[in-house]
Amino acid sequence: MIRKIYISLANRSMQETMVNRTSFILNIGASFLIILSSYYLWKAIFAGRDQLGGFSWEEMKAYLIISFLSNTILSYFSEVKISQKILDGSIAFDLLKPIDFQKARLAETVGSSVFEGLVSVVLAFLFLFLYEGVAVPESPITWVFFIISFILSQTVKYGVIYIFSIFCFWTTGFLGVALARAAVTSLFSGALIPLSYFPSTLQKICTILPFSSIVHYPISIYLERMDNIEILGIIGLQAFWAIALWFFGKWFWSQAVKKITINGG
Amino acid sequence: MNTVIRRSIKDRVIKNVYIYFRIFVQNLRAILEYQTDFIITMIVAIITQLLGFFFLHLVFQKVPDINGWTLWEVLFMYAMLYISGGVSSLFFGGLWSIGSLVRRGGLDLYLIRPVSPLVQVLASNVGMNGLGNLVTGGIILTHSLMNMNIAWSVQKGIFFVIFLISAVIIRTSIIMAANSSAFWIRSARNTVPFLINTISDFVQFPITIYPLGIRTLVTMIFPYAFIGFFPANYLFKDTEFAVWGLLTPLVAIYCMMMAALLFKRGLKSYESVGN
Repeated sequence: MIRKIYISLANRSMQETMVNRTSFILNIGASFLIILSSYYLWKAIFAGRDQLGGFSWEEMKAYLIISFLSNTILSYFSEVKISQKILDGSIAFDLLKPIDFQKARLAETVGSSVFEGLVSVVLAFLFLFLYEGVAVPESPITWVFFIISFILSQTVKYGVIYIFSIFCFWTTGFLGVALARAAVTSLFSGALIPLSYFPSTLQKICTILPFSSIVHYPISIYLERMDNIEILGIIGLQAFWAIALWFFGKWFWSQAVKKITINGG
Repeated sequence: MNTVIRRSIKDRVIKNVYIYFRIFVQNLRAILEYQTDFIITMIVAIITQLLGFFFLHLVFQKVPDINGWTLWEVLFMYAMLYISGGVSSLFFGGLWSIGSLVRRGGLDLYLIRPVSPLVQVLASNVGMNGLGNLVTGGIILTHSLMNMNIAWSVQKGIFFVIFLISAVIIRTSIIMAANSSAFWIRSARNTVPFLINTISDFVQFPITIYPLGIRTLVTMIFPYAFIGFFPANYLFKDTEFAVWGLLTPLVAIYCMMMAALLFKRGLKSYESVGN
């Protein structure tokens, strides 16, 4: 019964993204421009070199595609949506409903990610097709591990987005919060530059933080840098962060809600 | 007769500038009221820029140059892009609200006032992130200029100032043209301006690393390359592109005229939402 509510929320949110196709496609277009520019930048950086920062050019291309996917699948829209509810006060109605706010927003995020994710994957394959010579894992079991790890990475990302969005209770705009999240995530996750380029202390700090679960670990699995036992350890770590962030978000939410004062109605 | 006309134009310009600053200061006051927001946006703008700087720093630890460009040379282009973006969002942030003004009919209010609607639009919003970009961009630019051996001459000095002004004009004009698309695209989620703004990411680096299509895009269609790349070639790179740098002020004037034309056309086709 309750699960039905979440499914219909996800469904509605998926339809919403499909209605706003044009803007969505332009949005994806923008992230495609970003991956294009970083492709040519890295190509120029690698010019005449086989190996840089522990990556071959083939591996680096795979790196760019995976971090592109990780950046686009959980979109800006789902992020804006949570913040907007808090900022415009429509959260008051959500509080009246007998549905868990966190689960409902997750359902909506999953819903919009179905369509958006599909387009991102298509774009990623287009990229693969246009620029040959991208590293592909040899063993099929790597693919299985990678897909599990990637899904977990998106769950961790949702946790981060949710926690950051709650900061909107204390601000009047969402842009600052969204950009702050993007900056922090991109630096510590490995989306900005592979973590192997960092000085070793910073690298160690990154492996402790949850952000490395978003880009760094799934890519390490994809590039077959580890044996199976290590992979299982990493998947366990990602699952830990996904759960930990979920409960931290829940706690943080309950604290923030106390702050609400509703005027009139 | 002629002097009378000239005086009336001068008066009009002065009046518009005065009004612009009155509105600007009002909006600035309103923004400073919300201190948390102001501080967050500032800090985030600075952090985002430092990330870009950090990225370049890490890359240049592994390689001596990118396509023949050293760290400081790349940083010059980087800084020009951020300074122009900073000035434009700090002083002309209102351009980004053309969309909502058209959709919600806020433009009606501007049209009935006896002041140029463009002046009112320009001043209608203050992007505080611009201040962050301006400050860090300025610091990076100063450092890059100090760390390069530029054979300065009077001509280069004058052109450097022209480049800075042109950069702001080009950036602002493209933003104005892109946001004027809202006159025709009435969707609440018109992302055309954001898309066009994202194209500027290409010119953080020497455009010679891109294929011809992208080079043409950022030189001819959205001439972002005149913000940093061509000026850099003129100032300290002795390449075939150096002479292109001299075109920069002309490109700036062209951009300004195109943006003004689009905005005017847009205003003409504007019909109030009627409430």
